[in-house]
Amino acid sequence: MTRAIGASALYVSLAATVAALFLVTFGARRRKEAWLNAGYAATYLQFGLMTAATFAMIFGLVAHDFSIEYVAQVGSRATPLYYTVISLWGALEGSILFWGWVLALLTALVVFWNRSRAGNLIPYTTATMLGVGIFFQFLLVAPAFPFGAVFPVPPDGPGPNPLLQNHWLMGIHPPLLYLGYVGMTVPFAFAMGAMASGEVGDGSWIRLSRRWTLGAWAFLTAAIIAGMWWSYEVLGWGGYWAWDPVENASFMPWLTATAFLHSVMVQERRGLLKLWNLNLVVATFALTILGTFLTRSGVLSSVHAFTEGLIGYYFLVAIAITLLASFVLVAGNSERLVSFGKLEGVASRGTVFLFNNLLLTAFTFTVLVGTLFPLFAEAIRGEKVSVGEPFFNRMTIPICAALLFLMGVGPALPWKEADRATLRRKLLPPLVGAVAGLLVSVFAGARSPYAVMAFAFAAFAAVANIGEFVEGARARMRMRGESAVDALGNLLATNRRRYGGYVAHLGVVAVAVAITASSTFRAEHEATLKKGESMTVGGLQVRLEEVWGREEPQRSVIGTTVAILRDGREIARLDPRMNFYPTSQQPVPTPAVRSRPSGDIYMNLQAFAQDGTNATLRVIVEPLVPWIWAGGMIICLGALISIAPFRRQAPAVVTEPEPALASPAPVAAT
Amino acid sequence: MRILAALAVAVVARSATAQDTAVRPVTGADSALERRTREVASELRCPVCQGLSIADSPSDLALEMKGLVREQLAAGKSPEEIRAYFIGKYGEWVLLEPKAEGLNLLVYLLPVALVIGGGLFVVRYVRANSAERET
Repeated sequence: MTRAIGASALYVSLAATVAALFLVTFGARRRKEAWLNAGYAATYLQFGLMTAATFAMIFGLVAHDFSIEYVAQVGSRATPLYYTVISLWGALEGSILFWGWVLALLTALVVFWNRSRAGNLIPYTTATMLGVGIFFQFLLVAPAFPFGAVFPVPPDGPGPNPLLQNHWLMGIHPPLLYLGYVGMTVPFAFAMGAMASGEVGDGSWIRLSRRWTLGAWAFLTAAIIAGMWWSYEVLGWGGYWAWDPVENASFMPWLTATAFLHSVMVQERRGLLKLWNLNLVVATFALTILGTFLTRSGVLSSVHAFTEGLIGYYFLVAIAITLLASFVLVAGNSERLVSFGKLEGVASRGTVFLFNNLLLTAFTFTVLVGTLFPLFAEAIRGEKVSVGEPFFNRMTIPICAALLFLMGVGPALPWKEADRATLRRKLLPPLVGAVAGLLVSVFAGARSPYAVMAFAFAAFAAVANIGEFVEGARARMRMRGESAVDALGNLLATNRRRYGGYVAHLGVVAVAVAITASSTFRAEHEATLKKGESMTVGGLQVRLEEVWGREEPQRSVIGTTVAILRDGREIARLDPRMNFYPTSQQPVPTPAVRSRPSGDIYMNLQAFAQDGTNATLRVIVEPLVPWIWAGGMIICLGALISIAPFRRQAPAVVTEPEPALASPAPVAAT
Repeated sequence: MRILAALAVAVVARSATAQDTAVRPVTGADSALERRTREVASELRCPVCQGLSIADSPSDLALEMKGLVREQLAAGKSPEEIRAYFIGKYGEWVLLEPKAEGLNLLVYLLPVALVIGGGLFVVRYVRANSAERET
């Protein structure tokens, strides 16, 4: 029954989406209001049907309805409820279903919030989203059909992949990633809609999609950070980023979207870069699809590959269609995409944005080349090569350092040409900060030039961005007599977009410092200990207390109890474990982490003796790691501040000096 | 304890590894060797993992390979000789960073070319599009 409901919902939804696409497109072309409205109604209908299909699947999972193929594939009666529900995205078909549902939701929301706008931009934007929706719904009824029948109905299933049911973050990282990935469809659709309707010249598509872009970017940021956290908490290797193809796949659209968030400001203020911004939006969308292709096709092995052969090639076709359609539309709009504006000066913020875009593009390109090169090399030479962490670190750390530097220079420079006095006033404090950062890191024992450079530029950026808050708040205190707290609050409230950006910058600084510190100053040691024996790591004594075993409904656990002592006094007990799932030969490592703002003590059980007398432990002391997660949250907070509805205060009576006035651009209410 | 014993039987393979590592316990005294082992190991790919180095990977095979690196270093072999040993065994694929030679040069030079070419373009663009020029 559930199976029938879900399956028919998918078929009808595909039909409704196709109908909606035609109604909206031809309704707009022939100016038939009634067709348009019917198309919008069908858009809501397909969202309703996709919701029904998704809930049917969740219901099937929770009810252990093993007559449904997908449930029989990932469900098991012993799996706890939480992991049963989230196994919706535990394998290919379910994850495409979830993707399709999020896309249907966003399409309905775009229609709901914008349908009253005159002109053909919104109909064609909707049509683009419906077109993407048709692609995913086609996958759902053909190669990735999740509601296939199983007969005879098995009494039980194998349960989700052990790696996907071992940590609660598995319920957080994938939905965030889908919201980020799918969210990037919206600015893409607005760009295509703007070109198709001929309304691309005035850049209104950028204003209409601004919040969508920022929101998708915030979700993608949170997803990447949550993915790092998951990798750290689950994989047992003590790191959080391995330049795995799928990590790269999520990172590339983030980089191009970040470039876009900055370069649109140049278009909004100066009317430049119209074509470039379209390219960035198309590239971001294409990279989300490319990422799905790389990870779903199995051409690159990855933690995320579900090893389903052919479906990946549909994504390749989708990329080709996307690029072709964009190319045709851009060519048809070439006259509207001519930029007439001028930059306001050489030493100005606009110039910094251009270099920021250069570096982010180079970053994306480096990651892309590094990710694809093994495929290329194998095709040409027939021999496999690896392009891994040492390569990516060597190539991208200098880019990161330069980006950190620009992240300080950009906010410090005005849009207008900066004179010498301004440059000195604005750049001197960050420079002092950079020197301080350099000295402190060298004094703390950093020797690698990369690390010292990263610390120095992070300090530069931190001082520059904090300086903007200080300067703005001071101006308010002086001009309006506000208290320091009020001044800071009002500063944020009156120019959320700008200061939200600076908050995000500070989050990036936190992430950069934490990553550099945790990889530069980490201490690690691995040893086989008998019960009661200890080892010393980073000034801490680590003593094996107990080796134990435990049966749980869905798995068996072998664990250790380990005491951590500082100066002979116990400060914590940890229980690194190995979880054995019946479906997997290899145990799933389950490291234990003691987290403090100053850093983590990370412990993984590597091996144990059969008789329980000894265990091999790997202990890593990693400074500042929690600041990666905190920094990610700060970045998202910054994005939220920028997204929040713009509220104008009573017009300022007193003219404020430059910093508070140089708002990047007027913000239109969407 | 009874459960532990029962479970342990099911995972004899692993416990055998534990015994192996127990034979060569790592002490603080040879921390210089440990550091060099880590340096060499961090450039070698764990064959059964997803792009992790054998220095990072917690898998059995990686632990074994890391043990080999340690032994060979202790026996006086150079990192270059050790790399050659693993390439002989697993192919060039075992190096996490491709050798900068032949076709592999592309992966190093393309990004650099983009930065240089793009940089020149941006400089020209800024010059051509600055308001100053008009006045």
